[in-house]
Amino acid sequence: MKTMNNKINYKIAAVGLSILMSVGLISCEDYLEKVPLAELTSENFFQDELQATHAVNAIYAHLRSFNVHVFSYIGITDIASDDADKGSVPGDSGFLQDINDFTFDANNTAVNGIWSGYFQGVFRANQVIVNVPEIDMDEELKSRLIGEARFLRAYFYFFLVRTYGDLPLIDRPLNADEYTQSRVSKELIYEFIEEDLTFAAANLPEKSEYPNSELGRATAGAAKSFLAKVHLFQNEYQEAFDLAQEVISSGEYGLYADYEAIFQREGEHSSESIFEVSTVALEAGGGSSQFSEVQGIRGNPNNGWGFNSPSDDLMAAYEENDPRMSATIINDGDTLPTGQVVQADPNMGENARFSRKAWVPEVPPSGFGNSGANIRLFRYADLLLIAAEAANEIGNQTQALTYVNMVRERARQGDDSVLPDITATDQATLRTAIWHERRVELAMEQHRYFDLVRQSQAQEVFAALGINWIPGKHEVYPIPQAEVDISGGLIAQNPGY
Amino acid sequence: MEKLLPERENAWLLDKYLILFLLLFSLFIVHDSFGQTNVPVQGTVLDSSGQPLPGVNVVIKGTSTGTITDLDGKYSLDLPEDAILVFTFVGFNAQEIPIGGRSTIDVTLEEDLSDLEEFVVVGYGIQRKSDLTGAISSVKSEDISRLPVSDVTQSLQGRVSGVQITQNSGAPGAGSTVRIRGVGTLNNSSPLYVVDGMLLDEIDFLNPNDVESMEVLKDASATAIYGSRGANGVIIVTTKQGSFDTDTKITVDAYTGVQQVASKINLVNAREFAQLANELEQNVGNQPLYNVDDYGVGTDWQDYIFRNAPINNVNLGATGGSAKTNFNLSVNYFNQQGVVKESEFERLTFRLNNQYKFSDAVTFGHNLSFIYYNQQNEPGVIGNAYRAYPIYGPTQADGSFTDTSPVGNPAAQFEYNSNNRTNNYRGVGNFFMDVKFLKDFTFRSNLGLDLAFQDAKSFTPVFFVSPTQQSIENSVNVENVRNRNILWENTVNYSKDWGDHRLNLLGGITTQDFYTETLGGMRRNLPGEDPSLWYLDAGELTSQTNENYAGDWAMLSYLFRANYSYKNKFLFTGTFRRDGSSRFGRENRFGNFPSVALGYNIIEEAFLQNQSFLSNLKIRGSWGKIGNDKIDFYEGRPVVTGNENAVFGPDEELIYGATLTRLANPFIKWEETETSNIGFEFGFFDEKLTGELDYYQRTTNDILVAVPIPAYVGSANNPIVNAARVKNSGIDLTLNWRDRKGDFSYNFGIVASTVNNEVLDIGDGNEAIFGGDVGISGYLGSRTTVSQSIGHYYGYKTVGVFQNEEDLSSIPKRGPEVVGDLIFQDTNGDGVVDNNDRVILGSPIPDLIFGFNLGFDYKGFDLRADFNGTYGNQIYNAKKQTRFNTYNFETGFLDRWTGEGTSTTEPRVTNGGHNYEVSDRFIEDGSFLRLRNIQIGYSFPEVALNKIKVQNFRVYLSGTNVFTWTKYTGYTPEIGGGSVIGTGYDSGLYPLARTFNVGISASF
Repeated sequence: MKTMNNKINYKIAAVGLSILMSVGLISCEDYLEKVPLAELTSENFFQDELQATHAVNAIYAHLRSFNVHVFSYIGITDIASDDADKGSVPGDSGFLQDINDFTFDANNTAVNGIWSGYFQGVFRANQVIVNVPEIDMDEELKSRLIGEARFLRAYFYFFLVRTYGDLPLIDRPLNADEYTQSRVSKELIYEFIEEDLTFAAANLPEKSEYPNSELGRATAGAAKSFLAKVHLFQNEYQEAFDLAQEVISSGEYGLYADYEAIFQREGEHSSESIFEVSTVALEAGGGSSQFSEVQGIRGNPNNGWGFNSPSDDLMAAYEENDPRMSATIINDGDTLPTGQVVQADPNMGENARFSRKAWVPEVPPSGFGNSGANIRLFRYADLLLIAAEAANEIGNQTQALTYVNMVRERARQGDDSVLPDITATDQATLRTAIWHERRVELAMEQHRYFDLVRQSQAQEVFAALGINWIPGKHEVYPIPQAEVDISGGLIAQNPGY
Repeated sequence: MEKLLPERENAWLLDKYLILFLLLFSLFIVHDSFGQTNVPVQGTVLDSSGQPLPGVNVVIKGTSTGTITDLDGKYSLDLPEDAILVFTFVGFNAQEIPIGGRSTIDVTLEEDLSDLEEFVVVGYGIQRKSDLTGAISSVKSEDISRLPVSDVTQSLQGRVSGVQITQNSGAPGAGSTVRIRGVGTLNNSSPLYVVDGMLLDEIDFLNPNDVESMEVLKDASATAIYGSRGANGVIIVTTKQGSFDTDTKITVDAYTGVQQVASKINLVNAREFAQLANELEQNVGNQPLYNVDDYGVGTDWQDYIFRNAPINNVNLGATGGSAKTNFNLSVNYFNQQGVVKESEFERLTFRLNNQYKFSDAVTFGHNLSFIYYNQQNEPGVIGNAYRAYPIYGPTQADGSFTDTSPVGNPAAQFEYNSNNRTNNYRGVGNFFMDVKFLKDFTFRSNLGLDLAFQDAKSFTPVFFVSPTQQSIENSVNVENVRNRNILWENTVNYSKDWGDHRLNLLGGITTQDFYTETLGGMRRNLPGEDPSLWYLDAGELTSQTNENYAGDWAMLSYLFRANYSYKNKFLFTGTFRRDGSSRFGRENRFGNFPSVALGYNIIEEAFLQNQSFLSNLKIRGSWGKIGNDKIDFYEGRPVVTGNENAVFGPDEELIYGATLTRLANPFIKWEETETSNIGFEFGFFDEKLTGELDYYQRTTNDILVAVPIPAYVGSANNPIVNAARVKNSGIDLTLNWRDRKGDFSYNFGIVASTVNNEVLDIGDGNEAIFGGDVGISGYLGSRTTVSQSIGHYYGYKTVGVFQNEEDLSSIPKRGPEVVGDLIFQDTNGDGVVDNNDRVILGSPIPDLIFGFNLGFDYKGFDLRADFNGTYGNQIYNAKKQTRFNTYNFETGFLDRWTGEGTSTTEPRVTNGGHNYEVSDRFIEDGSFLRLRNIQIGYSFPEVALNKIKVQNFRVYLSGTNVFTWTKYTGYTPEIGGGSVIGTGYDSGLYPLARTFNVGISASF
């Protein structure tokens, strides 16, 4: 029956079947084994010293992010305070107006942004704190890296606890069955912060021990300084004083002579700097922050969005001819050191002002969104004023006066006719003087609102401004509503929200 | 200011028109060159019952000359006296008749009983329609190429039951969201596309003119052969093929038309704006900003950004075949300008489908298509045109652009931000070989390849309009993507008929491997703005950034199917597919997907033989389990985020950083969808009325869902878990009536589908999954929770407006309300309004999806109308809710509350705050009925055409999206896109275009 044709067909069929069989021989496991391309996974990360350092660097990188030190950050620190109004044009970013007016609720953008931004920082720090101890590497570097991570975790938590009060305590990367957490009391959170900072202080080098190229990393001095502030915020004045004293006597820091220059490029990592976020304006981007842009002059020169506008109240707070006023506030019509005359966007209304401390003289490559101006988080003057305030509270008015007058002396900028030394020794009078000094020295540096709450003067201050600041509610911001919603009732909202 | 247009592109466009015109012209010349002495012959073709047969092919043997019979079965031809006429018609035996000097030849064609059956394309084969046990709907070519659109899936809209097609936007080249039988997962719910055997995730490249048929596979019996790929349904696309022993036919299809925006959004004019904006300022204690009397009508920015835009399509095809080879080839050019300026899409497609018969046993073939398409997107002006103040014009007296802060100036966006273009180069095709062996066996090896290259480029010049709308350095961005998709399928088919039995067995092994890589870069400070400089090398080296990433996946599958039919009456189908996917970890890599189905052709029973009422009756039922693997390539693996760089030191050095920023779950496994279907197929009055009715239930288990985890966990993403279960059930109905009365024939068809979507589980410890980005951080408008539908809208219900202080003190409220604000319902009656008072406000899932179509034919005239719509769904008008700043207002704001008794529905004018909480204020009825397409055509009589050697010539007028009946205030009630847990959000869609076009369709 077989014809020639059929024979050919069988040959072809045989070829076909062998194709079919060869498919069957493909090893399933090899064929289906695909590893992620162009990226590491948790399986091959945290293997060596280099990766440990990379992971720590990534925590610092997070300090530049929008939700940590940019828009919401200036909102809940400065705009909320009596130092600044929202700024920009009236309709723009109403959620910051709500912050300014204390009409915000648990859906406020700033409240949401800070919460997720800072906890993402905690997550990055926890990766290092949990994984780096397992790495076989140089022990000295290892303890430094862990120290840096614990310093940064404490930094994030310190901001969170002041913003929200009680918090979930996240001390490691959580497994899927651990996502459900409750808030623990802010006292326990403070203890947790103190442990981290104490560890950091013991394991980190001093600023002078780092090579120049590493400036900006956490130091023992920075850890002690933050610890001093953490105690101050708990009214633990003796501890605050002792720690501040320790940093002062370390000789690592000094007041930078030119107040205005502290906030310019020359003041970056200067003797005044205890901790700051380093940024760089590269043509290719990738190292910058929008911190300056959101506060930059809106109008001409066109430096930014014009938010965080220094208030009338702040203007009035300065003593006569205090040189710090012009180093802190740009008024419409001012002439800048570059020779430019400021013309604010007319839509901003009358008395438009801008933060001089966020002013960047030169246009960074590709614009002010790519600014390389560092974000000063802790200055030596801040530490001296903490020391002064704590000293006064523990009855050491002599030391208090020494420290507060050190700050005033530098503030004079050589003009002995202004800002005379404070001489009051009465505790209450001196307290008021130190608080005032703290306000004007550190104005527009994102300290004021937390200080007002800490000093229990928020209600009075805001009432004078016609703002309904409610005691028992506004000491803390609300927990983001979405967070409450998905917690199944475990995350309680703050009272009043 | 000089427009920065790439002039070369324009010149090239002109060239293309010229070439196509010349091609068309030459065709006419070629066909006008015959000449011979002919005699006229006419006649009527009837079937065995004496009814006239329209559409019969009447051809002179050995030539391509001929005609087809008209509606009365009549034909007439001029032909040589010695010619032989060949009469052919599908379903009938061909007849050859020598004319022998006669001038009238009437013919009666005998039905070919062996060829009566309609065949339907199924996965890995074709099947007799009467043997089908699955729910499959077909759409044929004549209904596919009728719409003037680039996206072929739109032709399914309103034509196939159980399928919801939603246009993603009106932008040129925009695709559609396709949902078959509801939304069965919280993830990608798009169907699988199978084009001539090639498995694909999208079919953007397809030229609608090339499509012969589209089959929508809906139930498990039909889709289970695609295993883990089939859970969302399968759409099989078959492109046009040649036939052996067929004369060459050349076809020309072309249309040209104009599009306009189908409907605008009603926005206030300048004077009204000034009034509302003043009130807004006063409501927050500020001074009014504007002197209302200074303003008149002002600018409607929509008019500024919209235009009447042309659309053109030309298609040339040729098909035919000899005894050993056949072919179908085509070339198509499609061009669509957008109704928003600076948007455009054009596509050039070649197709070459050939088959080669090497012997009676061996056939070799290929379906190859090569496509070039490019696209320019509008520069994001639609949202700005909605928000920009009508008090501003595009430019100032000196010609410079107006600072329209806080909204970007759309005119400046056109000028500066529309220098973008994406080019796509695509080759999709397959080679296959069929070998018949051992009498009943056929082996097929099918190798498919999809190569896609994309290059995108954009250029931004230096410009300044306002502080928030400026660019201080120019820059060029380049991005290249290449994808490679290789499919190899080897199947063996065994087909045997004996006695009353018919058996078909299929087995096979298939592999698929996909790879994608992206390479891109950016540089700034180019030495000029000319398009000749829009290359990375022209930019400053120090400004460069680059990116290069890649992904891949692979799949290995074993498949098996058995079809058995007994006496054409009892039907059985069983399928099984085992899939392995690289997307899952080793433990959960393989999944098994079975299905079984039974069918019963009741019409074959003896007791139904002697009646004329019922002409078809079948009942069928199926059950099966199918999977869904549409998750990211490496979803289960926690990847390290690189370039999280730190900066240190006075020299500001950038130091490399990397860490885990995201969580992942290595234990994820397949989602499994269990589908049951019961269906009836029926025909009455000799198939004048036909229909299908299906009831289905689909339950998807282990749905992979990124459950929002608390933000304090600190992950930058939400990891996915197999947590959810969703059930869809519904009815799909198709009804068709067709009849003829003399010269007049008509048909009427209805498709209707209901979907009842219910979430059964969303994972332990989860009360609800929130989704649906309303455009404001922290605000989510959709909720997914047990025993409700996926992603229903959830928020406050408004019950009025606080009219006075007394209301304010007596009616429960949230806290920040003042007089003039909305009153939200205190649902639980506890005296305060808080989150616990939120209620379900609607759903984006329609209760009913429907379409109907009408067709009339009279002599040479034809009229077709297609309608489609949805009923019972809602739309979230998110663009209205997003008010970070004072923006322009929809006219609805004019009904605002301005004092006691002025309004009980529209609150005082504010930006943000209480009145902008998620509430039914932003939820609108999404039901609509649309006259999707109406077309009137005229086919010239064959007698006239034959003289110029034309077989067929039809001209038509067509209107698309002619009218939409809807209450929705946006551009269109069709809101595509979005994740399935947050759909139906109108955040500023590209408007729908209404198109009027004229076209011709001819064959030679």
